Amino acid sequence: MRLLGALRRVLLTVPIALGVAVLAFFSLHLLPGDPVQIMLGDTKTSVEQIRSMQHELHLDEPLHVQLLLFFGHLAHGDLGTSIVQQRPVAAIIAGAVPATVELTVATFVVALVIAVPLGLVSAIKPGSWIDRTMLTSSLLGVSMPAFWFGLLLILVFAVDVRVLPTSSQIDSTIALERVTGFMLLDSLLTRNGAALASVVRHLVLPSVTLGVVFAALLARTMRSSMLEALRMPYVTTARAKGVAEIAVIAKHALRNALIPAVTVAGLQIGELLGGNMIVETVFSWPGLGRVVVNAIFAKDYVVVQAAVMLYAITYVAANLLVDIAYTFLNPQLELG
Amino acid sequence: MRKGSWVIVLAALLGLGPLDATGAAAKALSFVLDAADNRANEAQAIVAQLGQVGISAQVRIWKYAVLLDQMKAGQRAAYMTDWGSAYFDPFDLAEPKLTTGGRGNFSFYSNPAVDKDLRTASSTTNEAMRKAAYLDAQKAAYTDAPWVFGYVLQNIEAASSNLDGWVPAADNGETVYGLSHRGGDSIVVGMRTDSIGTLDPAIPPTRDTESVLRNIFDALVAHTPEGKVVPQLATSWRKVGPATYVFALRSGVKFHNGDPLTADDVVFTFERVITPGAIGGKSSPRRDLLGPLARVQKLDDSHIRFEFSAAFPEALVLQALVHFQVVPQKYLEQAGEAGFVAKPVGSGAFRYVRGTVDSQIVLERNDAYWAGPSKLKQVVFRMMPEPSTRIAALLAGEVHLIQEVAPDLVGRLQASPGIQVKTAEGTRSYEIELNNKMAPFNDPRVRQALNYAIDWTPILRDIYHGYAKRLATAFLPSGFGYDSQLRPYPYDPAKAKELLRAAGY
Amino acid sequence: MLYPLRRHGARALFGVTRLSSGVAADATGLVAGLVTLAYLVVAVFAPLIAPQNPAATDLGMRLAPPSAAHWFGTDALGRDALSRTIYGARVSILVGVLTVGIATTVGTGLGMLGAYFRGGIDAISARLIELLQAFPYLIFAIGMMAFLGPGFWNLIWALALKGWIEFYRLARGETLSQSTKEYVEAARAVGYPHSWILLSEILPNILNTVAVLATLRVGYFMVLEASLSFLGVGIPPSIPTWGSMINDGRNILFVAWWVSTIPGLALLVLVVAINLLGERMRQVLDPHAKSTG
Repeated sequence: MRLLGALRRVLLTVPIALGVAVLAFFSLHLLPGDPVQIMLGDTKTSVEQIRSMQHELHLDEPLHVQLLLFFGHLAHGDLGTSIVQQRPVAAIIAGAVPATVELTVATFVVALVIAVPLGLVSAIKPGSWIDRTMLTSSLLGVSMPAFWFGLLLILVFAVDVRVLPTSSQIDSTIALERVTGFMLLDSLLTRNGAALASVVRHLVLPSVTLGVVFAALLARTMRSSMLEALRMPYVTTARAKGVAEIAVIAKHALRNALIPAVTVAGLQIGELLGGNMIVETVFSWPGLGRVVVNAIFAKDYVVVQAAVMLYAITYVAANLLVDIAYTFLNPQLELG
Repeated sequence: MRKGSWVIVLAALLGLGPLDATGAAAKALSFVLDAADNRANEAQAIVAQLGQVGISAQVRIWKYAVLLDQMKAGQRAAYMTDWGSAYFDPFDLAEPKLTTGGRGNFSFYSNPAVDKDLRTASSTTNEAMRKAAYLDAQKAAYTDAPWVFGYVLQNIEAASSNLDGWVPAADNGETVYGLSHRGGDSIVVGMRTDSIGTLDPAIPPTRDTESVLRNIFDALVAHTPEGKVVPQLATSWRKVGPATYVFALRSGVKFHNGDPLTADDVVFTFERVITPGAIGGKSSPRRDLLGPLARVQKLDDSHIRFEFSAAFPEALVLQALVHFQVVPQKYLEQAGEAGFVAKPVGSGAFRYVRGTVDSQIVLERNDAYWAGPSKLKQVVFRMMPEPSTRIAALLAGEVHLIQEVAPDLVGRLQASPGIQVKTAEGTRSYEIELNNKMAPFNDPRVRQALNYAIDWTPILRDIYHGYAKRLATAFLPSGFGYDSQLRPYPYDPAKAKELLRAAGY
Repeated sequence: MLYPLRRHGARALFGVTRLSSGVAADATGLVAGLVTLAYLVVAVFAPLIAPQNPAATDLGMRLAPPSAAHWFGTDALGRDALSRTIYGARVSILVGVLTVGIATTVGTGLGMLGAYFRGGIDAISARLIELLQAFPYLIFAIGMMAFLGPGFWNLIWALALKGWIEFYRLARGETLSQSTKEYVEAARAVGYPHSWILLSEILPNILNTVAVLATLRVGYFMVLEASLSFLGVGIPPSIPTWGSMINDGRNILFVAWWVSTIPGLALLVLVVAINLLGERMRQVLDPHAKSTG
């Protein structure tokens, strides 16, 4: 039964992704602004040339025709060609996704490293100075605009005290062979120590910027659900039976406490994707978020459509994973 | 919070006054001034000034793309625009912006006399006649005042003090061939664009792309930082007719893959641009930069003839040719369009190593360069569209040269040891275009009044820290045929009010 | 129909009084409440409190650091940052409150209706909401603002359109659990109209949780407005908002840190205070609710 539910969810991804792409298509086309004009800027190009360029891009066809063309290409696995960059969208996205994935993973790591121990300790010792510090700092964390925090971090750590780099993914002067596209993996695979060090250094500020906000939320959630779990009768029973405190925490309370934490993590995927866009802009991080923001302002429909579909699929997939994680944590729950 | 108190607060907030506390009384002349993000501050300063003369204006900020659309549809009244010139000649600035129906004419200005002058200037080869025509056009434009004429911004760049031989180029070019770096032989350049779009010299619509490509590819002629044309792949040229020019090609030049650069490559390069659909089914958007170029013919192994379908002045021919870098025919045909763009091969001072157009481009010294190898072994062009990121990177020593420094930040950079800041004459004019077809700006008196009503001095001095120069019209001082005798509209609020009164305000 | 309104009014007032005293009983709650109140007072009486006209440009005094004449320094047009920050409170607070107000009303209303009446509409809205949620919000917001153009109300709608889903879910969940309770069955059996049951019986019972969520979301939307302004699709610059002020200072961070930092701090303090208030409210109103931060 669980499998059927999971299958149904996976199949639902397709219409959702398509639905989202159609939404993106129409909303962008309704927006004023012509990508060809924007791209050309002041270049001396005649009106006839502009018209012919628009014709090549099928921009002069009625909307439903353009939409059908889009789906037609999609059926062949062709995501289209970027209007601004004149490159296949698939290549642009494939080039940018690894950077965003690495940033997201690093953010998760930072968030977990901060949130889990803090949340646990605060729950075990409620009212202590650790608990109070954690509550205060996490409150600051959730109340802060991420981009402002990022700018401050740059100001302090990269300019005033030059310990960390200001932007980008890696030192320009280091040559890293591109095997998978994921810089961390590639530097490990090609045994390039200098590259590895550089990539890690560049990851610090952007992932801390996003990670702190995420960690704040996660820590609070962990704390309250741990507190709940520790109050449960079975915990008191276990304690009365003489089970060691650590076992009590690890076996009983933690598992139940992870459920809401996982929910929150899943819900935050959407936020994280959006936060990525802004942080990537601030740090000139060569990821998908930055590509999308630039594409929107340049009215590059093709890129935005494809990116939006990708985001939608990611979002649905993340939710699915969260639900699956649920069933492992709590076998009594049904999927779907 | 008490539920009741929210109601009180809301009522108070709404009742105690407008949100923005400006209390400009509505007078007769009132309009909306549109601007994009980059000139928001300036727009607000101007509106504040106009208020003092009794003109009530409001600022509205747009995303440039959206504003462009509305402007072209003729739906806006007054908008802050700017236009860059790829040439050092009004052919690429005044002409598109002042001719009737011109591509850059967002003010719907139309004066047949000016049209005639500009046409003459681009189709006669008599330099004196061209100059006379431009002078005439300037005077007419000045009197007609289709816009509020503005200023030209200097091009401010900054670099590490260890960078020698560096002079910023007026056209924002970043040719690094002549540079050397005392801290090593590898430099990183922080570019202001987020993507150079393509590595094919026939395609790029932006000058930032060309900046990078000029290091990989050579053209027949090149610009000095000041904008003079000097030979590059061509050693000499002569005019053989009013519409025909012959160029002599330098011998012994090789492409990065060892192939020799011949006249065939030159012909191939230009045919690729002027023939529709020649670039993998697509046409080059830069075709019109070449004016009425009709045919390019190889005369012999080291001579090429350019035939234009109408008389085209030599100055413009040269300016145009700067922008078209020569590509290798054999390699391109073998590798195909996609292959060429993935691994471009040119004859320039640096060869392409690797990179992505929206992240960074890595180049390495071409040891067999015809003019001698550069002192730099490696150059990286990094896309850094965030201005503060560029500055931070320069301060931190991560990049050695950055484009486009905002005037506000010059002081900070100059105060930093190890940084040098230099400027060059700009090639971009900034103005406020007015919709000549829509009231109130269909009345030339109102337009002139606006020109008199704005005091540019504090704006240029305080907002741009003096790195800007007033323009009398749409003609740049760095361009050919500039009338230095024509003074820009002075600040004269009394005259402005008088003109407005005459116009009925 | 006046009687139920009067009854509800009295009940509401009583509830609010009890809430306030409950909140104020705790030290943090009291401080948070006072800080929020202080911000409100400053916002309402801005014209009386602000030392200078926030729109007065003074090009000669551009980017001046904090000093006796300008406590918070000046911005890129020479405007007094302190006065702008004070006026900025108005817009930021209004944006937060209005957005949450609309999102709460729409979301709760739809959620209650969906849960109470079930059926086809409920199923369709569930699917539609999944679709909307999968669409990356920032792209949606940028697109909307670019399409509608800059403006205060356009921004409110763009923000509210994101926020209502949470309230919808909450209201729907709560209404579902309430619908099965005995008093609802009883009321239906007696023959009370649906509208009466919804408004007079169910709504007051779910109001507590909704109110807590609403308070906690005010800060969130204020920060979201700042993010949109940062991307340049927020409110037009003539109206000072903290978000656009942070954006203004972003490129001159190294020469004029105060332009971005101070509005950011102002926003941070207010959001922290409101969040603390919300937490305290939850403790008073709903001590057994699972806290999700």
